[in-house]
Amino acid sequence: MQFKFSKFATVLITSGIISLPLAAHANDSSELEELRALVQQLDQQVKVLARKGEISEEETAAAKKTNPVVKASEKGFGLESADGKSVIKFRGLLQADGRNFSSGKNLTSKAASGASTAGYLDNTESAKDTALLRRIRPTLEGTVYGKYDFRFTPEFGDGKSQVVDAYIDARLDPAFKIRAGKYKPFVGLERLQSGSDIKFLERSYVSNILPNRDVGISAFGDVLDGKFSYAVGVHNGVTDGGDNVTSSDANSDKDYAARIFATPFKDADNALAGLGVGIAGTYGKVTGTTKDTINGSTTELTSGYKTEGQQTFFKYVDSSVLRSGIGEGVSSTGGPGASWLVHADGKRSRFAPQASYYYGPFGLITEYVRESQEVSVGAQNLKKTTLHNNAWQVAGTWLITGEDASFKGVKPKNNFDFDKRTWGAWEIVGRYSELNIDNDAFTFGNLGAGTGVTATAFNTLAYSPAGTASLQTINHYLYADPKASAKSAKTWTVGVNWYLNPEVKLALNYEQTKFDGGGGDLTSSTGAGTTNATFTDLIRNSTVRDREDERAILARFQVAF
Amino acid sequence: MKKSLLTIALLSAIYGIAAPLTALAKDVNLLNVSYDPTRELYQDFNKAFAAFWKTKTGDNVIVKTSHGGSGKQARAIIDGLDADVATLALAYDVDQLQEKAKLIPKDWQTRLQHNSSPYTSTIVFLVRKGNPKGIKDWDDLTKSGVSVITPNPKTSGGARWNYLAAWAYAQKHDGGDETKTKEFIGKLFKNVPVLDTGARGSTTTFVERGIGDVLLAWENEAFLAQKELGVGKFEIVVPSLSILAEPPVTVVDKFAKKHGNEAVAKAYLEYLYTEEGQEIAAKNYYRPTLASVAKKYDAQFPKVNLVKIDEEFGGWQAAQKKHFSDGGTFDQIYQK
Repeated sequence: MQFKFSKFATVLITSGIISLPLAAHANDSSELEELRALVQQLDQQVKVLARKGEISEEETAAAKKTNPVVKASEKGFGLESADGKSVIKFRGLLQADGRNFSSGKNLTSKAASGASTAGYLDNTESAKDTALLRRIRPTLEGTVYGKYDFRFTPEFGDGKSQVVDAYIDARLDPAFKIRAGKYKPFVGLERLQSGSDIKFLERSYVSNILPNRDVGISAFGDVLDGKFSYAVGVHNGVTDGGDNVTSSDANSDKDYAARIFATPFKDADNALAGLGVGIAGTYGKVTGTTKDTINGSTTELTSGYKTEGQQTFFKYVDSSVLRSGIGEGVSSTGGPGASWLVHADGKRSRFAPQASYYYGPFGLITEYVRESQEVSVGAQNLKKTTLHNNAWQVAGTWLITGEDASFKGVKPKNNFDFDKRTWGAWEIVGRYSELNIDNDAFTFGNLGAGTGVTATAFNTLAYSPAGTASLQTINHYLYADPKASAKSAKTWTVGVNWYLNPEVKLALNYEQTKFDGGGGDLTSSTGAGTTNATFTDLIRNSTVRDREDERAILARFQVAF
Repeated sequence: MKKSLLTIALLSAIYGIAAPLTALAKDVNLLNVSYDPTRELYQDFNKAFAAFWKTKTGDNVIVKTSHGGSGKQARAIIDGLDADVATLALAYDVDQLQEKAKLIPKDWQTRLQHNSSPYTSTIVFLVRKGNPKGIKDWDDLTKSGVSVITPNPKTSGGARWNYLAAWAYAQKHDGGDETKTKEFIGKLFKNVPVLDTGARGSTTTFVERGIGDVLLAWENEAFLAQKELGVGKFEIVVPSLSILAEPPVTVVDKFAKKHGNEAVAKAYLEYLYTEEGQEIAAKNYYRPTLASVAKKYDAQFPKVNLVKIDEEFGGWQAAQKKHFSDGGTFDQIYQK
């Protein structure tokens, strides 16, 4: 419309096609005046239309400064205010896994005889092949007032229904930020990698010992142009690999965590640019109770170290271990009970040097952790000692399609599109990881005469010891039973990741785990299951063989946005 | 480059040692959020105030100004534009800072002289040279074929003054018959081909884009257009009746306090009332309130029969509610 008026007016005014011939042929001056008025009127209309267009553009530009922006990308879906200070995003992570065990009689899912809860080691059956939803995590995150971020992530996968993350960040300065709520404590390098970005289906043994998630508050930040980061925090404290619940702490002692990580050559144009080294640790005092539930955590000790196939291969003496091992055959109404249970009793410290290196399509990550944990036995806190467990891992990755490797996810150069014959990004991965339990954890002995432990509970056993057998002088494995637990696990893992696009990934891992120091079946049943046996010694070390190797193929289909 | 704690600590330490050794002069940033046609006024005034403040305190004050439709500017402050001072077109817009966001106290208007209006103005007509449509008074604006330029009363303070001046004229001539007055205003707005959001936009429409026969303008804006934007191209027509426009000023206490600018913001506004401040206002065609300066510039400003908002409309709150709130007379008339 604007164009038509403009064109018409221009033609009328500039060409003189109308005005000059009319002036020449029409003597009627009033007609000429009318035409002039018409031209002026049309000229005004053209200008008005043009001005309205200008105003409309100005208003549109002004509206852009205030209207919220709807966003949809591989980083999720969301709404953002025009000034970017208020943001809300919806993200999600879905992992559908398959596990196939080709060997190893390592089932841990059955309930012991007389026990009501699953969780003890059954050496007669292989772990079950299964399909499962490993992670189902919708996430709501955002920013308010430009500096305050929040994140809320529940977990519905792996049979759970719980809060994974719920925290608030205050970004007061790049060098000083505060995080409060439930989150990953700033400790483990591999743990800090997002569940959607980890290069293997399961994290290594290092993450069996370092904390998973805890409730507390941390200060953290980046200094020296981001080449040095630090974090310090105070938390309720969690057991090894533990995921704290959102309720209050069971005791008043707190765990302290600290981490420094440096990427000194970050901006350099050389091969060291992708090098990062750091060190982290936790320290706290923790005292568990002698109450125990199978796989429970009131002992403030790990509920169990797991293989990549998520099979428990080590746990301290708890009621499930008593029933499957040293107290085999014990009915649910009897047994040594609280007198033989192991619990945390004092200092717990973890020390974790760590490093990562990325160069072009190659990536390397390595981490070590050594834990010192004070433990004791029974309600009288007997046989107190410090156990030192450690784990380490080294993992390499190679993006054979040439993308740059990084700590975060992979963005394929070309997304998978069969019609265009583009195949996404392909990555080969390999890792060695091991976990070693302190020899002293398998100490064979007794609580000692005169320690005040009565035989009352023991005497209720269906096969009570004859005569004068006393609970406090019966030899047994004090902290961990080699029939139920292995002393070490060593795992090789190889795999391939196929990134169809930044949001969809297929992954396949093959892992082989060798166990040392027990954890297998009995080679004989000396002293076990024999009614009215003379209980001077319970099951002996020599009667236990190593747990069978675990060989498993793990597969995953993942969508993360 | 990101600031680091170490850097801050280092700088703080250095500054802490060096401070006593240097002059105590500091830079002070002040934000004045104003309405559309005050650009030239505050350009001149800010320079004068900076010199005054430097002499008085040794500090370097850097005044930034933001201009737009008065109503829009008030909303921007309410939404978080952290102005140290607001110099808006009408008291209702300043009232909103108190009512909507509690940024200033209720008695803000009593804190400075003349109801916190250091200068006044009125509404006049700007027509093209020779006044080809023979426009002399408000009723000429309702005639067929006359194109009137005024901004949108919903967003512009100046437009609301225009509207109320026309309303007051019609009321006088129609013997207070509101129905006839609405018809009058309706006819006037039928002659408005385009509504800008602010007074400066309307000046652009009339002066630079060549649209319309008459611009309803702030007196200062009309003078500016006539003497500086289009010399010899326009004439000012003073209607038989207009309205006394009293643009108010205030410290935005909450933000000034947040910035540590309370003292300098107060001084900035008080300086508007000084002889030098009043001279600058008069030179920019605002009517001064200081008697000595008003007398000096008496010849510059035409004599106009002016109605006052309080007397004619019962104050800005009542005027806003009746005429410019959603469903008010402007909506009733303009939507027809």
